[in-house]
This record gives sequence, C-alpha cells and structure tokens, in this order.
Amino acid sequence: MSKSVHLTKEDVLHIAQLANLPLSEESIEKYQKDLTETLHYVENLDELDISKTEASSHTTDLQNVFFEDGTKETRKFTQEQATQNAKNIKNGQFVVKRLM
Amino acid sequence: MDLFGKTITELQALIKEKKVAASEVWEYFVKRSKRHNPKLNAYVSLLEKPSNPIVKGIIPKMELWGIPLAVKDNYCTKGVRTTASSKVLDDFISPYESTVTSKLKLSGYELLGKTNMDAWAHGASTETSDYGLTKNPWDLGRYPGGSSGGSAAAVAAYIAPGAIGSDTGGSIRHPSAWCGIIGLKPTYGRVSRYGVIAMGSSFDCPGPMTQSVEDNAMLLQIMAGKDPYDATSSPVAVPDYRSKMKTKRKLKIGIAREYLKGVEPDIQTAFENMVDVIKKMGHSVVDVSLMSPEYSISVYTIAQRAEVSSNLGRYDGIRYANNRAYFGQEAKRRIMLGTYTLSHGYYDAFYKKAQKVRTLIKNNFKKTFEDVDLIIGPNTPVTALKVGEFEKYPFFGELMDQLNEPASAAGIPAMSIPIELDSKNLPIGMQIMGNYFDESSIFNFAYQIEQETNFFDVIKKGREKYK
Repeated sequence: MSKSVHLTKEDVLHIAQLANLPLSEESIEKYQKDLTETLHYVENLDELDISKTEASSHTTDLQNVFFEDGTKETRKFTQEQATQNAKNIKNGQFVVKRLM
Repeated sequence: MDLFGKTITELQALIKEKKVAASEVWEYFVKRSKRHNPKLNAYVSLLEKPSNPIVKGIIPKMELWGIPLAVKDNYCTKGVRTTASSKVLDDFISPYESTVTSKLKLSGYELLGKTNMDAWAHGASTETSDYGLTKNPWDLGRYPGGSSGGSAAAVAAYIAPGAIGSDTGGSIRHPSAWCGIIGLKPTYGRVSRYGVIAMGSSFDCPGPMTQSVEDNAMLLQIMAGKDPYDATSSPVAVPDYRSKMKTKRKLKIGIAREYLKGVEPDIQTAFENMVDVIKKMGHSVVDVSLMSPEYSISVYTIAQRAEVSSNLGRYDGIRYANNRAYFGQEAKRRIMLGTYTLSHGYYDAFYKKAQKVRTLIKNNFKKTFEDVDLIIGPNTPVTALKVGEFEKYPFFGELMDQLNEPASAAGIPAMSIPIELDSKNLPIGMQIMGNYFDESSIFNFAYQIEQETNFFDVIKKGREKYK
C-alpha cells in the first residue's frame, strides 16, 4: 500500500465493470474521490509490524467443520417456490441472457 | 390491565398466570405500533395477523407464547416480505425461515413487524434505507443510530417489548446506545447466521435488543447454539445465562484509556461517574492497554467491504429480486472498494494485510482477558446526531462505530447499556466487552448495574413520551 494510491476515472469504471454495477456519468467523480479517500485512511495499518504475523481468516478458531451428505426433504424447494421471486420465468424456468 | 412498559419476562408471567390473554398482548402492540409508527418509521412491514392460532383459554407450554417481537428486515421470514431496506429486494417474499426466527417460532413468538435499517445494514443512521429514515424516539429530529435503528426505536418507544437486530461493526450496540436500550452483540458464531441476509460474513452477529438484562439473556438463550446450516456457528455449550446472571460476582474490570480519546465531554463525565458506581459496588477497576481503535476501523473497512462485494455478488436479478441498477450509493461504494482490494495485484496490500492486523487485534484482546473479566468504555463518541449532521463527518459510519469495531474485528461479545443522559437530554451508552463465549460475565455485570441503578431510569424516561 503506498501513499500514491489514487484511483483514476478509468480505475473506477474498470472496478464497476468487474462488479457489474451500472454507474451514472455524474457519479463517477464522486466514487473516484470517496474510494481514494478510504484507501488513504487504511494506510495507518502500515505503522504496525506484521512481518511475523499469520493472517486470520476466522475469529473463533473453529477447525474442520463437516456436513453430512444430502439434505432433508423439508428443506427442499418445489420448483414453484424456487422461482416465485424471479422476474422472468418461462415454463417454470429462469430466463437468462444468451451467452453465446 | 395496563401493559405499558412491561418487560418480556413480566409479560410471560402475566400470560402464564392468565392475567392477560395472548390475543390482548398482540392487539396492544399492534395498536401501539399503528399509532406511533407513522412518526417513527421503525417498521418496513407491519404484520396484520398473528401467525399462531390463538385458541381462547389454551396456553401452550412455549416460552415465548404470546410475545410479539420486532425483527430486523434482514432476517428471512417465510412468506413475509424481506427487503434488508433495499429496493433490490423490494418485493422479495422469503421462501424459507432463518434459524434465529425458526427458534423463536418454535418457542411460540409472534412476528410483529420487520424493522427498518440501513440498506443491507450499511451504515450507522438508517439514512441509507430505501424506505426512509427511522426517527429517534428521544428527539424526532435526530438519527436513531444504525444499522438496526428500527429495532432500537421500536423498543425505546415501546411499540415492541423487544427486538432482534444484527451487528457487523456496531449495528446493535450503536442504535441501542443512541435510543437508550440494552443491546448485545454475542460472540461470533454463538448465534447462527443462516437466513440472515449476509453482509460481512466473518463479522455478522445476530443479537437481542431489550428493555431489561434478563430479557436479553432469555432471548439469547433461545437464539444461541450450533446450527448445521451455518458452518461457522460454534459447538461450545450454551450455559444457563439467567441462573449464572443472578449470583453476585465481584469482577475485575479493565478500562482502556485509548477508547476515551475524542469522546464528547458529557459522555466522558457520565462514564467516569459510572466507574465510581462500579467501584462502590465492590468490583475492582484497573487500567488496561489496548490497540488504538483506529486500526480496527481500517481492518474492518477492508475486510468488511471485501465480504460485501462477494456477498452482494449474488444479486443478479435472475433468480430473485431486482437487478443491480437498484443498489443505492452506499452499497455501490462498498461493493467497489471490496472489488478493488480483492482484485489481482492488490490482495496482499489490502486484504491480507488487514487479516494479519486482525490477528494482532485478537491476540491483544486474548492477552488482556488473561488479566481482567471484562473491559468497559463509552459505546459511542457522540450521542444521537441531528438529521443531516452526518455530512460534517466524512467517513461517518466508521467514525460512529469506532468504539464498536474492535470487538467486531476480534469476534468477542459486547453489550451497550444506558448510563445517564447528556446535557441535551439524550441517552449515553456504555460498552461492556467480554472474552470469547463469556456472555455470562457480561450479563452478570450488567444485571448488577441494573439492580443498583435501574440504568438511571433512562429506559423508563425514553418510553414515557409514548404512553
């Protein structure tokens, strides 16, 4: 992390594309400023010595959690339940954009 | 019978002794909610009918029979609209039930309404809600705090006898402090996250928000425990919180001076007064040294945004809900920051570094708890701000939550309790942090303070206006 982090307009558009977020033209500059500001704030982590520290992916030290194969009948959705909240359904199936 | 101000525990006794019928309790809170909600906007959805069949004269042996509770709108409730206060989920009817609300259902509770929040739980004011701001019952021109602001306001104005919230970086404790009630963020993994709309998955903690410590312990008792559907829920045995709460223990309390930096003078004074009370009660008080909360803000900011970007990736508008154009500004900001810090070339510089510092924060707490039972400090740097005032504070959410985020980053339990009012007649909260899975000591200590001070009648004064 260096003090030189400064997001450009192109950076913001690239991130938005990766995240599949539509941005309005006038909001780009605002995100550019806000995101850069936040990235500057977190630079205080550089003050700490973490050269010998392991990363934490978890807080309560749980290990090896297993789940039995299969599922209970009561947890299964019917096709109707699974599709009840979708905006575009045809013959009981989700409609998606053509990929090829 | 006048039910005004009765705790859940008191209502349970009245129902059991047949002094009041479950249907009367339901009618009472529905009537109060309909009367006061238009000015408070605590609910996104209010239920029309109780879900349990109430048969006159029959009282099933269920602990929460006839008790209506308000539930934050990020809990999936089967057959009931669940929005997380975002237009993305505007018409989403959950096809399944969260583990927490399943457990409450099995205990016989009634879902009274789904409470307003910052959209996706992103914020500390409810201002980012797509369904309007919730007002602070103490002063309608002020924020209730957030993100569980609707739940806090509902309890403070007694339009619900208790509520369920969720806390990722202070979202239960912060509004509890600003609305003058009791709110607990349990240890990470103490309560299942299954069916709670995911925000920061390594931080999210469901928890109770109540008028009394006993109500809080009783609700946690029902909510806590291992859940096969949440792999991060803990197998550690759940103790009997209420019996452990009532033995008067003499505790060793640590004060971290680092947490008093930048805190309003009124809050500092109230906190120091509280420390005197605690000493007089016979507890020993020592200074401890903790890492500055400023590092926790950074760890939280990086890790939580990263988890947000991943969790909100599922909203594709295909299988359910509206498409991604419906995300508000704050959600977009967080998704984009997380996308950036997780992207190729930046992962080590941001995400991994944050996870390493997270280890330091955990170790810092673990070491400190070798010496003391609990750590106390102010819960928020300021009391409830006026609507619009957040613009004065860049980075508003994180600054308001700065004293809450260390416990979130470490995964330890922490509670906010009311201590006195400030010169603006607004409630002040004190935070009590405990060791991993030691909610018992927090309850024990908070209960003793409640017995000694009745929280300076703050909770009572808060609801009086809504009698």
